[in-house]
This record gives sequence, structure tokens and C-alpha cells, in this order.
Amino acid sequence: MNAATVPSIRSLLESDALRTILFNHFVSILFVTLVFVVLLAVGMEREKNEREQRHEVVGMMGALRNIDFNNPTQKSLFRETLDIYYQHSKARNDSVMQAIDAYRTEQYTNKVYKTGSAPRELSWQNVANLLGMYVNFIIVYLIALVVSYYATQALALYKFIQYKQQTSSYLIRALRQMRLSGETVRNGNNPFRQIERCAGFVLKACIKGGAALMLFAPAYIIVYSLKSTVASGEWLLMIVLAVASNGLLINYAQKFYALLFAESRKGYVETAVVKGWNNSYSWGTPDGIALRSLFHWKKKFPSHVLQHIYMNAHYQYIPTMKQYASFLITGLIVIEMALNIQGHLCYELLQDILYDRYEMALLIIWGIFIVVKGTELIVDAWFAYESAKYENRI
Amino acid sequence: MVPARKNITSMVQQRKEVRWLSFWLAGMTALWAWDALFLDPLSYELLQAAILNTFCGAIVAVAAALAAGWGTALVLYFFENGPRTYFFLPVLFIVNLLRSIPQIIGLLIGYMLLNFFMENGLMQFGAEQIFWMACVIGIMCSPEIIDLIGERIAYFKQSDYFHAMQCCGMKERRIINVEILWKSSSAHLVQKSVSLFGSAIFLQCSIGFIISVGLSNEVSLTNYPVSLGGLLAKLDSKQDILAIGSALINPSYLPHLFFQHLQGVSVAAIIVFTLLCVYHIADGLIHSYDL
Repeated sequence: MNAATVPSIRSLLESDALRTILFNHFVSILFVTLVFVVLLAVGMEREKNEREQRHEVVGMMGALRNIDFNNPTQKSLFRETLDIYYQHSKARNDSVMQAIDAYRTEQYTNKVYKTGSAPRELSWQNVANLLGMYVNFIIVYLIALVVSYYATQALALYKFIQYKQQTSSYLIRALRQMRLSGETVRNGNNPFRQIERCAGFVLKACIKGGAALMLFAPAYIIVYSLKSTVASGEWLLMIVLAVASNGLLINYAQKFYALLFAESRKGYVETAVVKGWNNSYSWGTPDGIALRSLFHWKKKFPSHVLQHIYMNAHYQYIPTMKQYASFLITGLIVIEMALNIQGHLCYELLQDILYDRYEMALLIIWGIFIVVKGTELIVDAWFAYESAKYENRI
Repeated sequence: MVPARKNITSMVQQRKEVRWLSFWLAGMTALWAWDALFLDPLSYELLQAAILNTFCGAIVAVAAALAAGWGTALVLYFFENGPRTYFFLPVLFIVNLLRSIPQIIGLLIGYMLLNFFMENGLMQFGAEQIFWMACVIGIMCSPEIIDLIGERIAYFKQSDYFHAMQCCGMKERRIINVEILWKSSSAHLVQKSVSLFGSAIFLQCSIGFIISVGLSNEVSLTNYPVSLGGLLAKLDSKQDILAIGSALINPSYLPHLFFQHLQGVSVAAIIVFTLLCVYHIADGLIHSYDL
């Protein structure tokens, strides 16, 4: 594609379809932000009222040091005194007594006092702390997204090429070698070579099976089978887990493979073969596939039909990245929460839910929503850009 | 009898989904028998309850996703093509919003609501709590069903099939519900349901694990029904899983996994093996029905 046909960002933004999509995204961000602001305001107001009520009770109890509220007689005396002094506000007196009881019970039962975790409110200091965690979360997410984008395509292409090579599974090949060794014995020869090959295939099948189990295993199973704790600085482990565990990589590689498979059955592939394009899927042959092309960041298979199969499949795969981003974030949250990685955003979210700090939890959830929406926005713009290229609209 | 046996054998050989379903059933039966023999009775009882709760929850989640997805897709279609087009954009907006919320966040919100209900004396029974969480999972997974149904309707609307039936005097509602979705898309829906079953198992185990590990102060394991994730989060299960790593470093320790560390290893094996088999069954259905 030459420079004249590459669409400019400006002309792309002028297209109605993209503008509608971007408008919808911004409206939903605005709507959710408004909802969160309202919820935050309600939550903060509730907290303020509770605090004022608590201060009132604490102030009253502080002023009445000579009353022992553990003593039922003194407590009853206090209640009667209240009723004598405030004869016309019995309901208020009841509320005061209830508030005192609740305050005293809380001293013994509140999990915050039990665990020693300080009650955190929505303050600038706490928001600044959250912001640091949020930036770290976004960095891990972006790295995991880029790595998995590359890995899903490489895995799907590898599976597709293997399908085209019509290679049977390692277990079937091992069985064939077993049969061959039987025939060799019947012919009176030494079956050592066949048995060696058979053992090799069984070993490869075991490794492949182990890898498959790992790809499907939830992250917490993998981690707990290797170590008992995860420290907050283990970024690499988190990225590897986010990409390879929770079934994410294998499921999205399968989606890409399905697109490759569907494309390979279309008429243009046969036309290209008739016109002399390479159609061999052998590794490393001049008319086949070079292994390094498969692992290259920009996958190119010059003069091979796979080039166009890949390009068309890739184009259709772009929108699924939105769904993928949402699942990847689910995976990251599961990893951070399930492994209790302290100092990370989702661990903080877990703590906020545990200690009923719903304002902080809401803020984190809003932040995560913005990450998903941001990804959707970028993916939609990218898809519109690719569509414009494909449809020669520019 | 021989031809019938031959048919079953050839079906198992040729159809990937049947092969993997048989493999899963055989694996689960073998594990169940092994646990019955070697796992201590208390843990065995707990494991059975966890399996039942998780699998029933996943089935309810799939049913909820189908019901919510089917209903919403129809509402979207009829709002878009009917006289009340002004309702279409708000409903689509809500569906897109749901799509943008990571599933686990939806589940955590569902869990907070469950907590609130329980504190107010509602949903005190284990079955109700499982049903609630399964419904939340179903709703979070429903956009996949909405997309599928939307694609199927759009596909048939492009062909003459749809218009021919309309010319025959058939109502649009019947064409979509019966002719397109029930008669012509059942294979697609079954395949999607199988794949959602895997997602529901994963989400249930993850939320169970998170609740038990990090949120168990409010809803402790004693009043929240045991699930595979919750059972895995128990300290002895974690130690059992840690033993897998020890066995990898020291292979002579491997036999101990099957006797001394059976609880954690069984739970982990059930989760991973089920996810693997469900993936292959769903993949087999795609190939068998050319979806």
C-alpha cells in the first residue's frame, strides 16, 4: 500500500461511523462518571452523618466519665435521668441509648479494630496513593495486552500450519511406532529405534498435555503449586500469569484459528494458488513457511497464500480485542485478589470491600471501567482505520 | 448388538465432542471412585457438596445467560424494527455498558448485594445464595448470547428465507423465535452454552476463591455454601497444591499426591480438567456442525 492510500487520522475522524462510535463511548463514560459521582456524594454524605452521630455520642460519653455503662444499674439510672430532663423527646432518648450501645459494641466487634487496619476515607492523600497503584495496574495491563496480542496470533498460526501439514497427534504417532516395533520384532530385527521414537513421542505428548493444563488452569492454582506467597514486585510473574493462565490465551488463539480456517476455505485462496502463489506449509522450504516469520512481530509470508489468509483473519480479529481486554482485566483482578498481592490496585479494592469503604471501592471500579472503555475506544478507532484501508474509502 | 456398538465406537472416534465428553465423564468417575477410597470421609463429603454446588451453579448461570440474552436480543430487534425505535438506543446503551464491565467486577457487585440481602435477613439458604450468584454470572455473560442471536437474525434476514416466510403470512415473532433461533440456530446456541458453561465454572471458582481468601470476614465459609473455589482456598487445600511443586522438584514425592494431598489436588484437577474438556467439547461442536 503506498502513502497516498494510507488514510490520515483527520480524514478518519471525519467519517460519520467512527464519530458515532466515539460519541457513544464518550456518552457512556460521561453517564457512568455521573452515576459514580452521585453514588460517591451519597456515600460521603452518609459517612459524614455517621461521623457526626459518632462524635455526638463520643462527646457525651466523654463528658459522663463517672458513669459506668457496663453497670446495668448505672445505665438504667442514666436512662431515667434522660427521661426526666427530656420528658417530651422519648424517641430521641431511645436513639441516644441505642447509639451508646452501638458505639460500645463496635469497640469489641468491629473488624477494623480487630485487624488493626486503619479506617480510610476518601482523601487527597488516599486518592494519590490509589493513583500510583492505578498507573502500575495500567502498565501491567498494557504489557499483558501487547504480549497476548502477539502470542494468540503466533499460537493460532502455528496450530493452523500444523493442521495444514496434516500432522497427527504425538500419541497417535507413538502408537504407530509401537506397531512398527511389533512388526520389527516379528521380522527378527532389533526394535530399539522404534521404541526410542515412541518414548520421544510419549514424552512430547506429556509436555504438550502439561502445557495445555497450565493454559487452562486458573492463575491461583498455578501459583500455589509453585510457591506459597507472591510479593508485590513480581511484575514478570503477573504478566506471564495474565497472558498464559485462566484459559485466556488458548481461547483467543482458538478464535483467531477459526478465522484463519474460515478464510482458508474462501475462493480467493484457490485463485491465488492457480495464479502461482506458494501453497506449501512445510517448515523452512523455499515455497513453504519460515519459522522466523511466525515468531516475528509483523508476520509476513511473502508470495505465500497464508499472507492474505492472515491479513483478512487479522482484520476480523481486531474487534474481538475489546472483549479480550475485558477478560484480561478480569484475569488480572482475579490474580491480584486471589493471590493477595499487597500494594496493588485490586488488592486495595478487595480490602475496601472487606472494610465497607465503598467510596474507595467505587473510585477503583470507575478507574477500571475507564481502562476498559479506553481500550474499546482505541480498538474501534483502529478497526475504522483498517476498514478505511480495506474499503479504499480514503 | 454389534452394529450398535460399532456405531458408538465410530461416533467416539469421529466426533471430537463425544470423545471429550466421554473422556471427561470417565475422568470424573475415576476421580470420584479414587476419592471414595482414599480421601477422608469428611473431606469427601465436602468435595461432593462443592462439586454439586459449582456444577448446579454453572448450569443455572448458563440458563440465566440464555434467558437474559435471548430476551434482550429480541427486545433490541423489535425496538430497532418496530414503531418504538426511541427505546432502541437506551437498551443498546445498557447492553454496551454491561459489555464494558469486567465480569469479575460484576460478580463483586453481585456479592456486595448478596451481603446486603443477607444482613437484612434475606437469602439465608445456601441454594438461594448459589442461585443469586449464578444469575449474576448469567447476566454478565449474556452479551455473548445477545451477539450470537443478533448475528443469526441478521444472517437470515439477508437471505430470502426470512422474506419468503413473511410472504406466507407467518408472524415475525414466530419466524425469529421458532424458525431462525429454535430450528436453525440450536447448534450455535448449544455450542455457545457449552463454552459459557466453562466460563461459568471459571468465574464461580474464582469468586469462591476470592470470597474465601479475602472477603470471608462478612460471609464466612460457614454460612456461604461451599464451592470448588472456596474449598481450594482452605489452608490444607493450598498446602496440597503446594505439594505439586514439591513433586515436580522431587519426583519421588509424586505418589504422596494421590494419597496424602488428595483434597487440594482433587479440587484443582476437577477445575482444570473440566475447563480443558469443556473447551474441547465446544471446539468439537464447531467442527461437527460446521459453525
